[in-house]
Amino acid sequence: MAQPRPEVIVTEALCKGCGRCVDACPKHAIHLGTEINQVSGLMPVHIDHDVCNDCGLCMSACPEPYGLSTELYELEDPKKLYGENARRPKPATIPPRKIALPKVEPLVLKGNYASAIGAILAGCRHVFGYPITPSTEGAELMAKLQPKLHGVFLQACSEVATINHMYGTGGAGLPTMTFTSSPGFSLMLEGISYMIGTQLPGVIVNVMRPGPGLGYIGPEQSDIKLMCRGLGHGNTHAIVLAPTSPQEMLDLTFEAFALSFKYRNPVIIAADGFLGQITGRVTLPDHLIDPGLPDWAVFGDAAHRGNLNSSIFQDWVDLEKHNELLCEKYALMQANEQRSTGYRLDGARTLVIACNTPARTAKAAVERLRREGRPAGLFQPVSLWPFPIKALQQQLETVKRVVVVEASAGQLEDEMRLALHHADAPKVEIHHLRHMGGILPNDQEIYEMVRGLTEVEQ
Amino acid sequence: MSGTPAKTGAAFFEHFDRHAHGKGLKGGTTHYCPGCGHGLAHKYLAEAIVELGVEDRTVMVSPVGCAVFLFYYFDTGNTQAAHGRAPAVALGHKFANPNSIVVSYQGDGDLASIGLAEIMHAAQLGVPISVIFINNAIYGMTGGQMAPTTLMGQWSSTTPEGRGPMQGQPMHVSEVIAKLDGASYVERCALFGQKERKRAKTAIKKALQMQVEGRGFSFVEILAECPTHWGLSPQDSEAHVRDVLSKVFPLGIVKDEVREPWFNPGKPTFDAEKVLEVIDAQREPVKRFCTKFPTHLDPLDVSVKLAGSGGDGAQTAAMLLTRAAIAEGYDATHIPSYGPESRGGTSYADVHVAKDEVLSPSAPAPHVLVAFNAPSLEKFSMSVRPGGIVIYDSGMISKPPEVQAGVRVLAVPCASIAQKLGAVVVKNVVALGALQEATRLLDEKTFLGELDRSLKHKTNLIPLNEAAFREGAKAVRELKAS
Repeated sequence: MAQPRPEVIVTEALCKGCGRCVDACPKHAIHLGTEINQVSGLMPVHIDHDVCNDCGLCMSACPEPYGLSTELYELEDPKKLYGENARRPKPATIPPRKIALPKVEPLVLKGNYASAIGAILAGCRHVFGYPITPSTEGAELMAKLQPKLHGVFLQACSEVATINHMYGTGGAGLPTMTFTSSPGFSLMLEGISYMIGTQLPGVIVNVMRPGPGLGYIGPEQSDIKLMCRGLGHGNTHAIVLAPTSPQEMLDLTFEAFALSFKYRNPVIIAADGFLGQITGRVTLPDHLIDPGLPDWAVFGDAAHRGNLNSSIFQDWVDLEKHNELLCEKYALMQANEQRSTGYRLDGARTLVIACNTPARTAKAAVERLRREGRPAGLFQPVSLWPFPIKALQQQLETVKRVVVVEASAGQLEDEMRLALHHADAPKVEIHHLRHMGGILPNDQEIYEMVRGLTEVEQ
Repeated sequence: MSGTPAKTGAAFFEHFDRHAHGKGLKGGTTHYCPGCGHGLAHKYLAEAIVELGVEDRTVMVSPVGCAVFLFYYFDTGNTQAAHGRAPAVALGHKFANPNSIVVSYQGDGDLASIGLAEIMHAAQLGVPISVIFINNAIYGMTGGQMAPTTLMGQWSSTTPEGRGPMQGQPMHVSEVIAKLDGASYVERCALFGQKERKRAKTAIKKALQMQVEGRGFSFVEILAECPTHWGLSPQDSEAHVRDVLSKVFPLGIVKDEVREPWFNPGKPTFDAEKVLEVIDAQREPVKRFCTKFPTHLDPLDVSVKLAGSGGDGAQTAAMLLTRAAIAEGYDATHIPSYGPESRGGTSYADVHVAKDEVLSPSAPAPHVLVAFNAPSLEKFSMSVRPGGIVIYDSGMISKPPEVQAGVRVLAVPCASIAQKLGAVVVKNVVALGALQEATRLLDEKTFLGELDRSLKHKTNLIPLNEAAFREGAKAVRELKAS
């Protein structure tokens, strides 16, 4: 004797009355309803249990998970909604591990290569990218090295796809990165907004080139505005770090991964075309990172089964709360991650403010001015967002004027002015030296400009 | 997370956290309209996941469109992707954990319009992910606009007169995907009638099974009903798929290739020794030959410009010089500047060698210029600072340069010397030999050691390069003597 089949039941409040089960029933035991259900406001179907033989075909025709079933679904069982077992247990975070790196001779690396090696040492084994001058060497080196470490380099079909591959891998809780340049960075902005909204880590190395439009392939600091103020739609910010040498390309990329996981937010390395291409001496850190796995990862295993990566909040109150949480993270970044450095700041009366390659040419100019007894100094923001306003304000207590030197139409100066304004800083005399199109401010012109502003002091 | 965990042996949450935090009806029903095909596709997907026992390994990628809230229902790992990008996100997950079972669930607007690039790339790549493509020939969530699969003559809010020739033809997505080499399994199914529903369920399960076995990219298109935007009853919608839609989009297997399991990227390594080997880091200290910084050139920082046309080897020579200087413990930089052409364009390199730190890496007024062709020599010879040196390839350039007072000019026939050695390509190494001899910038042995290191994988070329370097140096000695 076959086991008797369980009885098929309509949970009336969950039935939308579409009637797909009506045609599916070989016994014609189901009929469209005629009475409105008081809970759902819809008309559930009716099963004639005298005719039904519980064959179950109706269930496989019902688009609702619990509309037709062999057991009655309990609506709003408080225990199920809010009870102790209402959630899968949160997995333990597997913390990243430092692995000692034996001392080696300094490497001689192009900036893009140095950044790639920084990422490898930070534990990044998933790199996605799309070729674009002047950042492409990063992708090329990753294509060569990652397979040897059982890592992945995937050449994406576009920058749009690239950032979404990163959304997937970053969402799985692993370090991931890309190399791009300005037009490619523009294309990634929607995905970056999604990563920020979903709170996912990832490192984007943007080797900036001139625009607008195609522009060309030389160096410019064309995307400071985008990176600091325009990361796609919505309430977005990310830490933006600006290196000045291959060594800093490595060091800052290495550090970017830790920051990215610390804040669950993308981190951007802002390089210029010169920095991507320049070769220099690079010393490796004393350790590398085995990245571990965070508790929130959607990794695709039993431990992380209950996790979700999404930036959707259907309830407006929830979405506002989510944005407030993001704002709290931004405030933490502003409090903890302001970075800057300087050169000959002691007693400086004129402060040259520059980042990336212009900071190096400015350094040469400052050195020359100092040799003449002119008290010039260089203040170099390392984090462009958050702008290192605390350190700058300290300097402003003694300097008479600042000269912002940049390869853009004033994007760095705008960041500085905004930061000064928010900090209610006293007014300071602001001059600037700017170039665009691939021309970098050179040390001679910086020297000449600052010399004209700065008296010799005995 | 989005609900009360599924019971053992189920892939749907037992209770959904959707609107109003799952209070009321919404905890038990989907957000789909009555009669919508999505619910059935969800159900068969959930059943397939359970039957294959992959509940714990599955990551569902939900699209933008009506299925955007897929994560409310599936008690699996969940990711919500930007519009059209679900296959790219799915690949990110699959590479992160090759053992995960990744499903990209997309509608016709998401997959066949805004996301065409991503789906084509994923299908051509062939990495084992599964794509469930819901084709209801209309944009549902935005309220009934034309989809790429909207039928000719079909009304939508953006084809108010019916889809006409100006709006193009309905896209046969499965056939397009099947043409791509990476796709292993492609089938189009429908949801009208018990037989088609059973086939749809079997197809979805097979798509996942292929991924479980690591065989390849699988794609199931499901012709689904949209009673709301078709303006038809659920019953008439089923009939519409049967009588109209499936005539334009024929049902059945479009492609089914048996492939051996191949996807196995391996486990990433973080072993320090392995990483050092892969990045070519050198453990043994490099021998140094210089006893003091070349202060006869500059107290702190010597700049060299090497210039020629693309292919002259200016960049390679600059790189060798930079490496050699760093091997001696100095700071050095090399910055190239070249046109977009790989060969034949302009190619200039600025090198700095500094005692402690290179400040500005460009060389607008170099101490030394090495020029391989006439335009480069003409462009830069006047920029060489007084006390500096110009070396030019006199085999290629007949006219001596104009220089500032106090600049030494050396005519070295680099190309001719290299040609005599049997390989004109080493003319840049000849130039380096000349540079060292003329400037005493480093030590001859530094360069020879650097040549050995850079040619360690092509050792047969070392004698030629060493000879080129020595001949360059000799040519300068002979010039001095004469």
